[in-house]
Amino acid sequence: MKWFGKKNVGEKIVLSQLKKGQRAKVVQLNTEDRALRRRLLDMGITVGVQVIIKKIAPLGDPIDIALRGYELCLRKADMDLIDVEVMS
Amino acid sequence: MRIALVGNQNSGKTTLFNLLTGTNQKVGNWPGVTIERKIGIIRGTDYELVDLPGIYSLSPYSLEENISRRFLFEEHVDLILNIIDATSIERSLYLTTQLLELNIPMVIALNMMDIADKRGIKFDMDTLEQRLDTTILPISALKKTNVFNLIQTIKNKDYRQNHYQHIYDHVLESAITQLEPRVDTKHSRFLSIKVIERDPLFVDYMTTEIEDLISELEKKYQRDMEQVIADERYRYIELIRDEAVFAKKDLMTTTDKLDNIFLNRYLAIPIFIVIMFGVYYLAAGPIGGWTVELVDGLVGQFSDVMRTFLENVNASPWAMSLVVDGMIAGVGAIFNFLPQLIILFVLISLLETTGYMARIAFFLDRIFVKVGLSGKSLIPFIVGSGCSVPAIMSARTINDETEKKMTIMLTPFIPCSAKLPIITLFAGYFFGDRSGLVSASLYFLAIFIILLSAYVMKNILFKGKTSSFILELPEYKLPSFRYIWFDVTGKALAFIERAGSIILLASMVVWFFISFNFRMQYGVDVNESILAGLGRLISWIFYPMLGEMSWAASISAIQGLVAKEQVVGSMAIIAGFGSDVSEGRLIFNSGIFGFFTASSAYAFMVFNLFSAPCFGAIGAMRQELGTTKRMWKAVLFQTGLAWILAVLVFQIGRLLEVIL
Repeated sequence: MKWFGKKNVGEKIVLSQLKKGQRAKVVQLNTEDRALRRRLLDMGITVGVQVIIKKIAPLGDPIDIALRGYELCLRKADMDLIDVEVMS
Repeated sequence: MRIALVGNQNSGKTTLFNLLTGTNQKVGNWPGVTIERKIGIIRGTDYELVDLPGIYSLSPYSLEENISRRFLFEEHVDLILNIIDATSIERSLYLTTQLLELNIPMVIALNMMDIADKRGIKFDMDTLEQRLDTTILPISALKKTNVFNLIQTIKNKDYRQNHYQHIYDHVLESAITQLEPRVDTKHSRFLSIKVIERDPLFVDYMTTEIEDLISELEKKYQRDMEQVIADERYRYIELIRDEAVFAKKDLMTTTDKLDNIFLNRYLAIPIFIVIMFGVYYLAAGPIGGWTVELVDGLVGQFSDVMRTFLENVNASPWAMSLVVDGMIAGVGAIFNFLPQLIILFVLISLLETTGYMARIAFFLDRIFVKVGLSGKSLIPFIVGSGCSVPAIMSARTINDETEKKMTIMLTPFIPCSAKLPIITLFAGYFFGDRSGLVSASLYFLAIFIILLSAYVMKNILFKGKTSSFILELPEYKLPSFRYIWFDVTGKALAFIERAGSIILLASMVVWFFISFNFRMQYGVDVNESILAGLGRLISWIFYPMLGEMSWAASISAIQGLVAKEQVVGSMAIIAGFGSDVSEGRLIFNSGIFGFFTASSAYAFMVFNLFSAPCFGAIGAMRQELGTTKRMWKAVLFQTGLAWILAVLVFQIGRLLEVIL
């Protein structure tokens, strides 16, 4: 039942799998759409940045993450392409 | 001297622009309020200040960023005024690092210092200035703190002449230095970096030699250079942050507490429905209706006074008729709705400035994406309940082209404030106590039709497209009463201006056409007038939704193209011809509009709601859709759909009336 539970520290997953309140470090961006990837980079989603899942929309998608002292909303589909390492 | 004001979306840029120039531009608390560049003169100087759209980067993929980049690159700019949100300095400095690469002097205004202070964020200003080699002034545009100093600094040219700081590691820096002489322009450093990033707009500079250089770099970093450069910029910013910014540990902020309620899994959507219902219930329901009657009484009294006055000065009957039955009846019928529009404007302004608007986009995105729109489409839709013109322009913040076009075509379906008089008039008379409910039902019908149309369009025209959604969620802010005041008075004045110009003119034209027949004889029966003749040409179009060949209703509906409130103005003139009426009771008791029933009233409202918007909004659609052909498609789609819906409503309504 590991899939449903909280992810373990150090585990490598994608950003959309994190639970609310969990913290992780971005490992890699697999986004293929160049415009979107550039936008994500511009917004500060670079390798090594810490993100925390802050708010989840009432219908489950999009998700609001905090990084670099501000909050950013992303759709789950786009978060699927961001590899992270769980920190807490 | 020309100064460019550059900053992130929602960084308080427009507030600062207004403060510096003294004009009042639109301010909101959602990203992307500035959609076009605006120019003003800084108070007490002759310096030109250009307000560029809010951007996060100078990357090539979005319209706003391209506008800003082209402006900075191609036009002569003497100084960049970079505004930074002190509460999210890391992300803000990312744009700063790009601006510093341009060969243009720069001053930084560190805005929102009041909020940063409250949150215990401290800055080591000296280190910050040194690291960026730029003059930085802490300000609060909202509280007007230190803005005078900012003007003085600019005026006295009392700022550092920034020299470029080396922010990248030595491999990258040496590659840039190698490239610089080969892309010889004024902004050679900026350009070199763009070439290394393989920016599609600068492929012209690519030679085999440069290509080799970049490939070598990519091999060294094991990643593509666009990513490396973004990483390097943020690495340098993190360095500055660690040295010069001191923030307390993450606390539960007021915004988080409020979001626990407003974004709560179970409460969010009910709260949203209650808020929107409340807005329209207040404006279009009993309270708004009460204000209409209040003003109507005043207009009636004014009309009587004018009639007596004109009688006393022995004015000719036709002159008296023009003033009382034409001008006062037409313009007065519109003025009745002013207080209720002010209620609406205040409520929308509140939604815009508090930050709730971005939340709506966030939690409704899931629903909107299903029908092929974006959560961001909500912003034009809500702005559109004030006026379609700014609403259509605000659709520019939607990144995806298809979503944007669909949003532009569907925004006029939202009942704008000028459609409110039509709704209030018909709902108030035919649905009495339930008028608030009926008005609200029209808004929900509009939303339903928008979702349905989008769904159909998506599945027929734009099959299988995916898009993304990236939105910054701003903090909640207490509304600034100063701005609500300016925003509301600005809109109210525009409405009064329209009543005093276009509506007045239209009223005089209607009066002329109703007073004369085709043989130019004055004082004929209304049914023999030119207006009646023109109306009869088109009354067959409206027959299926009215159940009556009514020239009067038909000709009034057409006048909605001039301005939607003119429908009411025209009806008041036609009904009241010969007596001073401008109120629903009298309009519908007159023989000419006596045929209206509840179902034809609702159908007529539906037609006016969904059919082609006024010329102003059609013009905005033309501009934003890009071609006249697309504009015509949109107008025909809207009017066709309006006709079908109105006929359906009338026929079903009539059936129900028979059964019940």
